[in-house]
Amino acid sequence: MKRLLSGAEIIWECVIEEQTDVVFGYPGGAILPAYDALTKYRKKIHHVLVRHEQGATHMADGYARASGKVGVAMATSGPGATNMVTGLATAKLDSIPIVCITGQVPRPAIGTDAFQEVDIYGTVFPVTKYSYLVMDINDLASTIKEAFAIARSGRPGPVLIDIPKDLQNEKIEFEYPRNPVKIPGNNIIKKPEKNKLIKAANLINNSKKPVILAGHGILLSGASQEIIKLAEIASIPVTWTLLGSGGVPASHPLNIGMMGMHGEYAVNNAIQEADLLIACGMRFDDRVTGDVSTYSLNSKKIHIDIDPSEMNKIIPVDVGIVCDLKNTVSELLPLIQKKNNKNWFEIIKKWQSESKGRDIINTKTETLFGAQVIRDIWEETNGDAIIVSDVGQHQMLEAQYYDHDEPNTLLTSGGLGTMGFSLPAAIGASFAKKNKDIWVIVGDGSIQMTITELATAVQENVNINIAIINNGYLGMVRQWQELFYDSRFAETPISSPDYLKIAEAYGLDGYRVHSRKEIPSIIKRARQKRGPVVIEFVVEKHDVVYPMVPTGAALNAMINRPSKTKIK
Amino acid sequence: MKQTLIVFVQDEPGVLNRVSSHIRRKNFNIESIAAGHTEKKGITRITLVLNEPNKTKQSIVVNSLKQLIDVYDVIDATKIKSHIREYAMIKVLSNESQILDIKNIIKSVNGHMVSTSENIFIFELTGNKNEVESVITKLEKYDIIEIVRSGMVAMVDGDNSQNRPHLKKTEPNWSTFRIMESF
Repeated sequence: MKRLLSGAEIIWECVIEEQTDVVFGYPGGAILPAYDALTKYRKKIHHVLVRHEQGATHMADGYARASGKVGVAMATSGPGATNMVTGLATAKLDSIPIVCITGQVPRPAIGTDAFQEVDIYGTVFPVTKYSYLVMDINDLASTIKEAFAIARSGRPGPVLIDIPKDLQNEKIEFEYPRNPVKIPGNNIIKKPEKNKLIKAANLINNSKKPVILAGHGILLSGASQEIIKLAEIASIPVTWTLLGSGGVPASHPLNIGMMGMHGEYAVNNAIQEADLLIACGMRFDDRVTGDVSTYSLNSKKIHIDIDPSEMNKIIPVDVGIVCDLKNTVSELLPLIQKKNNKNWFEIIKKWQSESKGRDIINTKTETLFGAQVIRDIWEETNGDAIIVSDVGQHQMLEAQYYDHDEPNTLLTSGGLGTMGFSLPAAIGASFAKKNKDIWVIVGDGSIQMTITELATAVQENVNINIAIINNGYLGMVRQWQELFYDSRFAETPISSPDYLKIAEAYGLDGYRVHSRKEIPSIIKRARQKRGPVVIEFVVEKHDVVYPMVPTGAALNAMINRPSKTKIK
Repeated sequence: MKQTLIVFVQDEPGVLNRVSSHIRRKNFNIESIAAGHTEKKGITRITLVLNEPNKTKQSIVVNSLKQLIDVYDVIDATKIKSHIREYAMIKVLSNESQILDIKNIIKSVNGHMVSTSENIFIFELTGNKNEVESVITKLEKYDIIEIVRSGMVAMVDGDNSQNRPHLKKTEPNWSTFRIMESF
């Protein structure tokens, strides 16, 4: 049935059709008609007023990561739109489905350098999966429908829709387009090619030292069970990338830990010494390969990914299967022979015992260490919280010391490494998982990048706990300066405001922790409290995250954890 | 070795910009680019010549172009038998004594005279890159006023079903609802 609706109303009708119930945004001149129309849709859409448009994109991102749905962010033209670029790039590099809707100056004013005019449609080409500038109201609904379909299909990613103000005011007889979305290319292959499966199965059946590299694709494809089965039948150790955390439970005996720059010594050795790598939904990022020319030289490689452009991009592979990971592995399983690579696991065990350096989480220290904080949060939350980590030392410590047994419980900016991601992303995630314990793990540098969103957290009374790991430094950069720049600490010491006063000023509970014995009781108190809580952990200033592969070095040429005596 | 690609794209505003900036972003050099309509409504055909000797990188650029939403299909004309041609117009200033020689050079590649006014002559010619360039070299000693070249266009030989581009729109079938099942 047709109804006379304005462009602004059509936006909300279409967004609701996509099962969206929350939108993160900030009003302004060119998006005013849409905000005016929002008053009619209050019952179906909850709008979260952010404090900066970058925050809106990260919230949509966090919501998408925690819910599996498409996150939606909204902003006005010009500066509102350009503030979204960082969030779009973050979502692009981590393959997260979000749709950003921006207002644009009226159509007759486009191209005239009008007030708050920026060609955002063109600006975001390289940081989105696709972008639109809607110029005809008759295309509006089908464009929004297509945008959501593109965002969530295949390898997910961000999409931006730019909508001129006069088009939002225009009215047409509207009927929601029910016909399916069709786009060029993008022909996603549902079934893997049989001959490639047979080749892959042969490689797996004949390998003696195989390793599974589990990436974000496992979570996006929902392939956890299939990967675990493959590992169990063929007796293959599983290692994961940062974004693949939780794809295979940390407590699973075949899970040997994280790979890459701050991965475990035994894991990186295993990759280098393997005779077969099975890369599942991962893209051989430079942070996991180290020096490409020395990367796992003696192994055959199987690469399964939904994106054809990842094949042979960094590492040449022997069998490349472009297909959905879950479908591929479940079709591969019947071809796999049961076996036991006992010798291989013994070698790995030996490496694990060799690399036992300082055991910081079980050591009594005078000052508090970041690793101890993470481990105690893990213990107090029974490993069952959703952790939203930011970027830096605390991010790597989280990956090393918080064991994730469930997929989609670690939300972090892996590809782009966007500082300031965690607080807004956690606010977004809290709308997806209302009854989950959500913890922000953030450094003193990162929190100060988007600290404005504390006001959003308070206004929405979201249930998140913000753990600020404060070492008075931009710790990861400081670490690089210590190791590779002769300890010249250029501009890495950073001051912080008094976080207790900040908490008080924003109107939330704040705690400060100096010693380890205070941690359990404070965490308990924070968990009981409904609404946002800030806890500042004052930790050792000069700690370094080990193990570490220096950039450009071979993966197994790592700086290992020092012995106990080296703790300052 | 130059790489010639035939890219079939949706005829949308900004599509040429998307394709060329994608190539730039991936750090490849475009040597020539030519775009035009096709026999199918709504589909534009772009012929790209890239200066990339590395075979692995050549296949990476094909796959990465297929990643773009607007792209229907990409055919690597360098890998299969195909005809790669270019069109050029040349404006020369010439006196009576030189013009016969010039006309002979143009004739040798089956070129034509487009117009003449007083002692200004415009010729047109088509051919592969070597043919066009050899003519230009031969004409260098005369008074060339301007040259325009269309950029290479390519067509695959024969009609092998394997080399036919995929020009249908499809439904993006793998959706969030599938992702959501895993949550």
